[in-house]
Amino acid sequence: MATGKTQAPKKTKSKAFRTHLLICAGTGCVSNHAFDVRDALEKEIKKCNLDHEIQVITTGCHGFCERGPIVHVQPDDIFYQSLSVDDIPHIVEEHFLKRRPVQRLMYKPPEAESVIPKMSDIDFYKHQRLIVLKNRGLIDPENIDEYIAYDGYTALAKALTRMKPEEVVDEVKKSGLRGRGGAGFPTGVKWELCRNQKEDVKYIVCNADEGDPGAFMDRSILESDPHSVLEGMAIGGYAIGANEGFIYVRHEYPLALKLINRAITQARAYGLLGNNIFEKGFKFNVHVIQGGGAFVCGEESALLRSIMGRRPEPVQRPPFPVKKGLWGKPTNINNVETWANVAPIISNGSQWFANIGTPTSKGTKIFSLVGKIKNTGLVEVPMGTTLGQIIYDIGGGSTTKSKIKAVQTGGPSGGCIPAKDFGIPIDYESLSEAGSIMGSGGMIVMDQNTCMVDVARYFMNFLKDESCGKCFTCRKGTQRMYEILDDICRGEGTLEELELLEELAHVVLDSTMCGLGQTASNPVLSTLRHFREEYIEHIVNKRCPAGICKELVGAPCQSNCPLGTEAWRYVAHIARGEYEDAYIAIREANPFPSICARVCNHPCEENCKARIIEGEPIAIRALKRFVCDHVDPGIYKPERMLSVDENGARIAVVGSGPAGLTTAHFLSLRGYRVTVFESEDRPGGMMLSAIPSYRLPRETLEKEIASLIDDNITLRCNASLGVDFTIQSLFKEGYSAVFLALGAHKSRRLGIPNEDVEGVYPSIQFLRSFNLEAKQSAAGHVGVIGGGNSALDAARVALRQRQVKSVTIFYRRSREEMPAFEEEIEAAIQEGIKLEILVSPIEILSEDGRITGVRFIRNELGEVDSSGRRRPVPVKGTEFTVPLDTLVVAISEGSDIDCVAVASAMRIETTAWDTIKADFDTLCTNQPGVFAGGDVIRGPNTVVEAIADGKKAAVMIDRYLRKEELKKPAEVVLPEIYVEPPARDEEEILQPKRVALPRAPVEWRKRGFAEVEMSLTEEEAKCEAGRCYRCDLEFTRRKKEVESVIQEKVETR
Amino acid sequence: MAKLKVEDLARIKEKTRRMTVLRDGAGKAKITVHMGTCGIASGAREIMSALLKEMKDKDVKDVIVTTSGCAGLCSREPMVTVELKGSAPVKYVDLTPEKIREIFQKHVLQGEIVKAYALAVGSERMF
Repeated sequence: MATGKTQAPKKTKSKAFRTHLLICAGTGCVSNHAFDVRDALEKEIKKCNLDHEIQVITTGCHGFCERGPIVHVQPDDIFYQSLSVDDIPHIVEEHFLKRRPVQRLMYKPPEAESVIPKMSDIDFYKHQRLIVLKNRGLIDPENIDEYIAYDGYTALAKALTRMKPEEVVDEVKKSGLRGRGGAGFPTGVKWELCRNQKEDVKYIVCNADEGDPGAFMDRSILESDPHSVLEGMAIGGYAIGANEGFIYVRHEYPLALKLINRAITQARAYGLLGNNIFEKGFKFNVHVIQGGGAFVCGEESALLRSIMGRRPEPVQRPPFPVKKGLWGKPTNINNVETWANVAPIISNGSQWFANIGTPTSKGTKIFSLVGKIKNTGLVEVPMGTTLGQIIYDIGGGSTTKSKIKAVQTGGPSGGCIPAKDFGIPIDYESLSEAGSIMGSGGMIVMDQNTCMVDVARYFMNFLKDESCGKCFTCRKGTQRMYEILDDICRGEGTLEELELLEELAHVVLDSTMCGLGQTASNPVLSTLRHFREEYIEHIVNKRCPAGICKELVGAPCQSNCPLGTEAWRYVAHIARGEYEDAYIAIREANPFPSICARVCNHPCEENCKARIIEGEPIAIRALKRFVCDHVDPGIYKPERMLSVDENGARIAVVGSGPAGLTTAHFLSLRGYRVTVFESEDRPGGMMLSAIPSYRLPRETLEKEIASLIDDNITLRCNASLGVDFTIQSLFKEGYSAVFLALGAHKSRRLGIPNEDVEGVYPSIQFLRSFNLEAKQSAAGHVGVIGGGNSALDAARVALRQRQVKSVTIFYRRSREEMPAFEEEIEAAIQEGIKLEILVSPIEILSEDGRITGVRFIRNELGEVDSSGRRRPVPVKGTEFTVPLDTLVVAISEGSDIDCVAVASAMRIETTAWDTIKADFDTLCTNQPGVFAGGDVIRGPNTVVEAIADGKKAAVMIDRYLRKEELKKPAEVVLPEIYVEPPARDEEEILQPKRVALPRAPVEWRKRGFAEVEMSLTEEEAKCEAGRCYRCDLEFTRRKKEVESVIQEKVETR
Repeated sequence: MAKLKVEDLARIKEKTRRMTVLRDGAGKAKITVHMGTCGIASGAREIMSALLKEMKDKDVKDVIVTTSGCAGLCSREPMVTVELKGSAPVKYVDLTPEKIREIFQKHVLQGEIVKAYALAVGSERMF
């Protein structure tokens, strides 16, 4: 039961004892007389002459405070609880003398049958260690008696009765406590400086002007344990020689103000503040000053001026407040959390405190954990805890599937630390090294949907408003920095401006007087340091990768679609019941609407406003499916250039997957003649060989492909590159350009023993032999290794094969981190597929050359790796064997090595990842006239990306043949066409949640390969479309308004 | 109130602990409503009113209702801690007036933990 940390026994002599008695001396137990119990134990043991055999050791908290006092008997591992002095003689006689453990006093787990976890098992609480917040949620802050009940004011009593002031100063110095307000100045040193001033009147100040957005540590301390601050201040006053203290609280904290005022009244009534405290002749009074809420008042010299009723402007230091502070007298100013640390240090001693934390930073630190994180709240952890522990263990990681990308610490004056650095332990120095500061403890977690330029702009906006204006560089510098950041966010920034921004940041840093100005550049400098590429992306490519800066993004669904599909437009048409218009909006952008309506990874839903705000994006793909099922594709008649020149340029496309066919289609529309070469006997590429028919019915696939093949396009099946023709031979035959779209057809190997025995298949081969040749290779108990869509496809295909008894997916990371689509995982589980997470295969077991099983090892999540995810680390001794008859390996696919070898034999440059090397912007390879796109250049990727490459290739090949420049300057595409929102009543506006995707019944599904996902009903579709936030209106309505104004003017003229 | 001497601290402690720790005080249970700013903002006052009304309606007198500050996990507020005499405290999260009435009926009066709303049992780890 020793869940708490057990401190090493003090080494007095290296004598061996038969039994150790670990007695808990945590606060909880001590306040239940643990020390009396200890003394009684020692006395009794001596009395029975057992003191050579049994040693009593005082330990830290066992984490079971409500059962204290506690004695843990080792090596018997017996746990006595709720002990009193009266129980001791009985225990010693029965257990230690007669070796009969005392049942009556033993701990019986009361919740043995309960499924409710213990506080000490919950991740949020497990890693926390409470010193300052020890009374949080425990005592009534309005009742001084409760504070006293938990040892309140005993530290003050100890200081006044048993210590000289200089001893108190010394104790604080030795503890290593540093200022918790941000700068980290050693508290004891500051006290000593103030104490040594030869003045009669001195002051103490508590800085509770907590002003950073997202920070609420100080407020919470004042609210849950106000007396801890008062006690700390009184001890400080005694040590320094001050008789008066001020607490400066901002007026936005009404509850904190009420509670601290009440606490002062109660302490006065008890004589714990006032004259002659504890009859030791020490006088101390505390006043509360309400601040107006200016951020600059957190700066000490401005705060002191504010207390004195002057304009809160920082003044030049030195002289420091410890020499000349309030009304010219020595003043010691510390922040709330610092003061609250004082009493525990005096009670428990400096050594105890100095044992916690890192060499330079002692004790604990409180952080307010907010942002895109599951458990937001207030956490107190020992210094040296890593950011990763705070964010992933305590915070529980991201609220959504979006990965966490950075954490902002220290408020506006702090900086951002990227996820790859989450392994750093928290102390003052390491945070500074990472380009941030400890600050007072605000911690804002940001995910992929946070734009770092926008974050910098937000903080700069705050700082420019809060600058007191005394220093020109701060007043104007923050303003100009804000303007530049705003320009960049709106897509109007230039690289020269970025240079200016950086220069300005350094000027402000170097030439301002106070802490606000000197750290005002941090938001800019730290985001530039870690996320410069986001700035460049905004400036050069006019793109906001997080989908936040609205002038660049327009409608997030559209900007996130590789094809630029106006999802908002067709959703708007669906809401109005205009399904044909909706179909045209889809088809204009995408030649494969029905296919994408089934298998697209829907990046449009990724940045959807409804997802960011409500957590549930609009079901855009399902709406597309609804439209495709309800509209005859024949209504769309693409415009085709008529001038097809018999002798005009001919283009060869190698590969008939989504990329190849798209290119052929768009080149045909531009009047070119195209020949498509396909090595299989049917067109379709990866759509045919890799995607199972229950996700994409073959009829749909064939129909959509057929609709694209027109008289400009010749299809040549069973023709393989390198066997039937070469790139050189194509040019020789008179083709003017070649587009390589070969796909990625080979799985990676596991690299473990026996991978080549019978019954082990790479997923691509497994799926392909079934999809193309209807071969059912799986039998018996099937295992699938991997967590991507390919693994899910393989597992669900296997489940549908006749000889299969069970299917299990084995994945090395956690369930949340599986890259497969959530809906696929859900559907698989519904169908009865089992998931084993956090396991890695180590060996394939075989008999007579056939697989019999796989040996696995369990993983635990270790430190954060460079991808910002926690690395799976194998746990020794957890190996286990699973008997399996078939194993499908579906770890990341590489491209077809043979194809790449062929390409490279034709002098096409390739990469180290077995892909063809091409410029992602122009799709040019190293050979003029040869272009490449889709998976063969990107590695395994989505259908929609392949289609996007196909569209781009058509444009580039056209430009190439016209001898135009290939690269196009980046431009922002904003919504243009206005679709009037339908009139809706109140009830409809309070729309329910995202529509549930209709699926065929599970039992029926498992029996065959019929399509699983079904179409929405018309009512469902209209209702779902009605949930759309219509991000486009901000642009289209404005445009429409301008147009109608112009129209009016023309008419009145 | 008279001025305290050092020895008085122990006396107040003993007296108050007897009440707060439920060792042999008057109450058979203690309910702590966490009423920091975060708790109040998410509706702790409603929880408190519902609780007091429930006690009045059922004429329960041997239960101590008290308030305390934030319990740290602000995203799960409103929270309460229920402690029956002789058992470990249980923290409940994401409460509504309906839930607190159910908890009062089942846990406080009948001694049965309402697992569906409970976060954890026990106390936090102190130094």
